[in-house]
Amino acid sequence: MRKFIAVVTREFRERVRTRAFVISTVLIPLFFTLMIAGQIVLSTRGAGTWRIAVVDAAQGSFGARIEAALRDAKVGTGASAAQKYRVERITAAPGRIDAVKDSLVPLTGKREEVPGKLDGFLLVTEDALTSGAIPYYGGNVGSLSEMDNLQAALRPVVLTERLVREGVGAVAVQEASGRVELVTSKITDGKLTGESGESSFFLVYVMTLMMYFALLFYGIQVMSSVLEEKTSRIVEVLASSVTPFQLMLGKVVGVASVGLFQLGIWAMAGLYLTANVAPILSILHMSSDAARGVQLPTVTLPLLAVFLLFFVLGFFLFASLYAAVGAMCSSQQDANQTQHPVTIGIVLGLMTMFPLMNDPNSTLARTLSLIPFTAPFATPIRYSVAPLPLVELLLSILSTIAGVLIMCWIASRIYRIGILAYGKRPGLAELWRWVRTA
Amino acid sequence: MAEAVVTVDRITKRFAGHTAVRDLSLSIPAGGIFGLLGPNGAGKSTTIRMILNILVPDTGSVRLFGNHVAGRDLSARVGYLPEERGLYRKMRVLDQLAFLGEIRGLRRLDSVRRARTWLERLGLGDWTRKKVEDLSKGMQQKVQFIGSLLHDPELVVLDEPFSGLDPVNSQLMKDVVVEIAREGRTVLFSTHIMEQAERMCDRVAIIARGEKVLDGALSEVKRDFGTRHVALVFTRNQASAARILRDPALVARADDYGGSAEVELASEGNPDRLLRALVDADVGLSRFEIVEPSLQSIFIAKVGAEAAVAPAREEAHA
Repeated sequence: MRKFIAVVTREFRERVRTRAFVISTVLIPLFFTLMIAGQIVLSTRGAGTWRIAVVDAAQGSFGARIEAALRDAKVGTGASAAQKYRVERITAAPGRIDAVKDSLVPLTGKREEVPGKLDGFLLVTEDALTSGAIPYYGGNVGSLSEMDNLQAALRPVVLTERLVREGVGAVAVQEASGRVELVTSKITDGKLTGESGESSFFLVYVMTLMMYFALLFYGIQVMSSVLEEKTSRIVEVLASSVTPFQLMLGKVVGVASVGLFQLGIWAMAGLYLTANVAPILSILHMSSDAARGVQLPTVTLPLLAVFLLFFVLGFFLFASLYAAVGAMCSSQQDANQTQHPVTIGIVLGLMTMFPLMNDPNSTLARTLSLIPFTAPFATPIRYSVAPLPLVELLLSILSTIAGVLIMCWIASRIYRIGILAYGKRPGLAELWRWVRTA
Repeated sequence: MAEAVVTVDRITKRFAGHTAVRDLSLSIPAGGIFGLLGPNGAGKSTTIRMILNILVPDTGSVRLFGNHVAGRDLSARVGYLPEERGLYRKMRVLDQLAFLGEIRGLRRLDSVRRARTWLERLGLGDWTRKKVEDLSKGMQQKVQFIGSLLHDPELVVLDEPFSGLDPVNSQLMKDVVVEIAREGRTVLFSTHIMEQAERMCDRVAIIARGEKVLDGALSEVKRDFGTRHVALVFTRNQASAARILRDPALVARADDYGGSAEVELASEGNPDRLLRALVDADVGLSRFEIVEPSLQSIFIAKVGAEAAVAPAREEAHA
């Protein structure tokens, strides 16, 4: 046992001391913070005010209504709200519409400032009213969220205009077509959590991504650590006093504890930051409105426990496979090629995220949380998106543990022989022989 | 003979395509220096790995200190310097040694204290906080040598310990090895350099192509091999001398270095006739001495010159 602890401590001590550890501990959260801050900035400031022309070739007040609706659209909330669109209405006879369009195109989407410059223009015709398809030409059509905003602003106008033409009073239409939206709140196990649907989505998203990066990052560290011992030939001294299984497990546990230590540092920093969001934002000259825009999700203790449990299980599973890969190779290049199947396993796990979040109780979801390779991702996702029956949770844990034990055993059989074998990388048949020999 | 520290009983190890060790038995008594000799690729390292439980023999058994327990569980009593030297390149010297002591069962503080003492003794006192990769190859070898001795093992196994060392460091290590043996501990070392083994070993075993050729106390081995050996030094007419040494009526085997030679007399030949022939040939004889056979000549005679070239084998199992 003391030898095993010595292996674990060495792995931990040597890794935590490296410059790479310090740098990654600081840079990774910084990267995430910048990403999130960037999203906040983009969502609040938008891309400024859009200059839009409304080419009005329709009858009656349809064009004017559109102009008014766009003028009313705001960006931001409260006192800092600003006009979203600067609108210019150009009336055109129905026959002249192509000519007007041709004259507007050269002014649209220009990089440099020109008089009368436009971001885009709408062609409002009688056709558009009947078919519901309003042509828009602009430099910003690639931005899906901008197009959504524009469409959302136009939809009630089309509705109003159609109803008015059917003889309904404009005021009545206005009152009838007030905004309707779903305000979501999550209930977990019969208790209100105070989270909105969006924030719980955000939470799963971030935690799953973290799991993905951690498995990949630390798994590869196990692999290169095994490889280092093998290429530096120190493994022979180790093998004369520690069993290969102790050595492999010590390495996996050592690297895992580095990972948990790093996650711990981040969690502490995260707690500190969330407790002090407002003062920090004010330092960054951002209004606290912006902070309210991203509601920070609360992580419940059971959810955290499930995530950590599956992170540890997943880590043992994949890290032992990475260790086996390291043991069967003799050079870094060799290992880089051989690791692909393991890495693909982790990527597949990540890819289960979206189907699972859409339908966390489908047969697919149930199956995925019983397969040891995908369960480390699938089960925590299902657990956080929808209530997961206890039986299913336990079954998933048991099958994953069984999978971890089997994979660790196979990996240790490969490791045992691999660490002392140099030269050509073994083929599958050879590997199978390694696993079987006593 | 004292109770054997290492008993190897008819072990065989096969690797894909060839047999590295065949039906080998050895008995290494407590105390003294035991030399495991053989040409490159004879199976020395494989034998040592099986003694240390790094490899498991296909058949046969190994016992350490009379125990049937696996060698790895006795590692607190065994020190090992492998042929392929290796340390963690990024680790500091002192940390490295502390770790090597720990996996041999020492407590960390104790391990650190002992490491310091050894580093001072072998002239590495200023290097304790340096990374291994900053050390020269010779220094690294000394660090690893220390690593195999930190826990005062009863049995020290050194695989080719002197290869690649300069004469000064070679001497330093030799002194340590001799001191360990003098303290009553046992040293097992392998080499293919016979002069070294001859000066240091109390007992030797010669293996070739995975099989034992002979073993025993060095003095017995020499006595058994016969006393019909003559050491010669001549100063001129080397060609005539060489012709005489090739005469099967006089000489059974000659190890000819041009200006000097060690010969084994033919069974019907006698020293007088050889001396007369050499004097007649006017080779300027400056030495003519009846000697014990050297280990080198025993080795060549037993193993055969052709065994000095190992058969083609996979590097993986060297």
